[in-house]
Amino acid sequence: MTLTDEELVARSRGGDQESFNQLVVRWERPIYALAYRVLGREEDARDVCQDTFLRAFRALPGFKGEAKFSSWLYRIALNLCRDWIRRQRRAPVMQMPEDADPVEMVGERGPAESIETLVARRELSEVVAAAMARLPEEQRTAILLKEYHGMTFQEIADLQGCPLSTVKTRLYQGLTVVRRHLEAGGQMRPRLVKRA
Amino acid sequence: MSVKIQCGDEGALIGYLYDEGNAQDAAAIAAHVASCAACADEVRSLQATREQLQAWTLPDVALGFRLGTESVPTESAPQNVLRPARWWQQPLPAWAQVAAAVALFSAGAALGALRATGVAPVTGVSTASAASSVSTPEFAPVSARDLTALEERLRAELTPKADASPHTVASHQDDEVLLRQVRTLIQESERRQQQELTLRTAELVKDVDAQRRGDLARIERTFGQMEGTTGVQVEQQRQLLNYLMRVSQQKPQ
Repeated sequence: MTLTDEELVARSRGGDQESFNQLVVRWERPIYALAYRVLGREEDARDVCQDTFLRAFRALPGFKGEAKFSSWLYRIALNLCRDWIRRQRRAPVMQMPEDADPVEMVGERGPAESIETLVARRELSEVVAAAMARLPEEQRTAILLKEYHGMTFQEIADLQGCPLSTVKTRLYQGLTVVRRHLEAGGQMRPRLVKRA
Repeated sequence: MSVKIQCGDEGALIGYLYDEGNAQDAAAIAAHVASCAACADEVRSLQATREQLQAWTLPDVALGFRLGTESVPTESAPQNVLRPARWWQQPLPAWAQVAAAVALFSAGAALGALRATGVAPVTGVSTASAASSVSTPEFAPVSARDLTALEERLRAELTPKADASPHTVASHQDDEVLLRQVRTLIQESERRQQQELTLRTAELVKDVDAQRRGDLARIERTFGQMEGTTGVQVEQQRQLLNYLMRVSQQKPQ
């Protein structure tokens, strides 16, 4: 039987560590993905992910369940990412894993994908990451939460502490900047109709 | 009541793009997009951008964090036990970075000051001894500073002898001899420098002359080619004119 987040949280608050471990298993990858795309470094993302769950566990007695557990976790992770960036005093830079080997990855992705396709995919991934890294933090976070974590406008607004209309504006402006970057890099065709 | 959509409304387009909003708004935006080429293209373009964003993949990492105690780490994957990042893994706060920079700068400045005073506790080699250990080449040009140093050294060597000697009358004559020697050295140095300058100037003039001759030869060759081309063209035009003259002078039969 699969327990809901709320049930696992209740058990964890009662002292059941195994329940909290189940929550960790359930949410570690999304939290890591968010941290990686915000920070751009594997090790940093791993540390932030770890710290997120530690802080969540320590703060669990104070968690009243007013928001979803996942939203609460995302908030902790985003705050940690923000602190990390401030302390590092550096913009997020994308970094490919050092041990990544295209030839090995061909095998992982199946025989149908050629090495050219794989290289093109990785290049596109890097270009997208570079385009996202150019965005202001608020726009980047809004796009990350919407595109990769499927949050609603309202959930993003709650997390970012801003009106819903601001979230839409951030998404629109962020996507427009990314589009221009991809057009300039040749990954997308320029628009056919220009607005007056 | 019908919903009015303003052309280019960012919020409305984003709501339509992500299919989020009430049905009435969605229908109104859909109707507008169907009739407005600019908004339709904008939506298509944003949708294409969203598709490209999906290409951003994550590195394949194994996480597997678990709650555990420091005293009993998991043997299989001790790095996955949830514990805060070590202090040396965390980025230094700004004040600590500034303090480190100041400490480094101070250490550098202190080392520089020690070297300037000729004391080098680390290497045991003072600046003065290092300077004196540099052997001057036999035929190197003598500079004014070298001569000054030589004069000072000679004076230093002669002074104790003069003090020790009871016949201090001779010191004046020694000074004159020394001065004559120094003047001679200076004159020799100037003569050598003059020779060097003359030699360098001659080499420079020779290089410039060779370059000038080469340029002139190249220009001459280019002119020759141009003249040849022009001559051929003039000859062709002359032949053409002659032909035209011949044709025009023929009487019609």
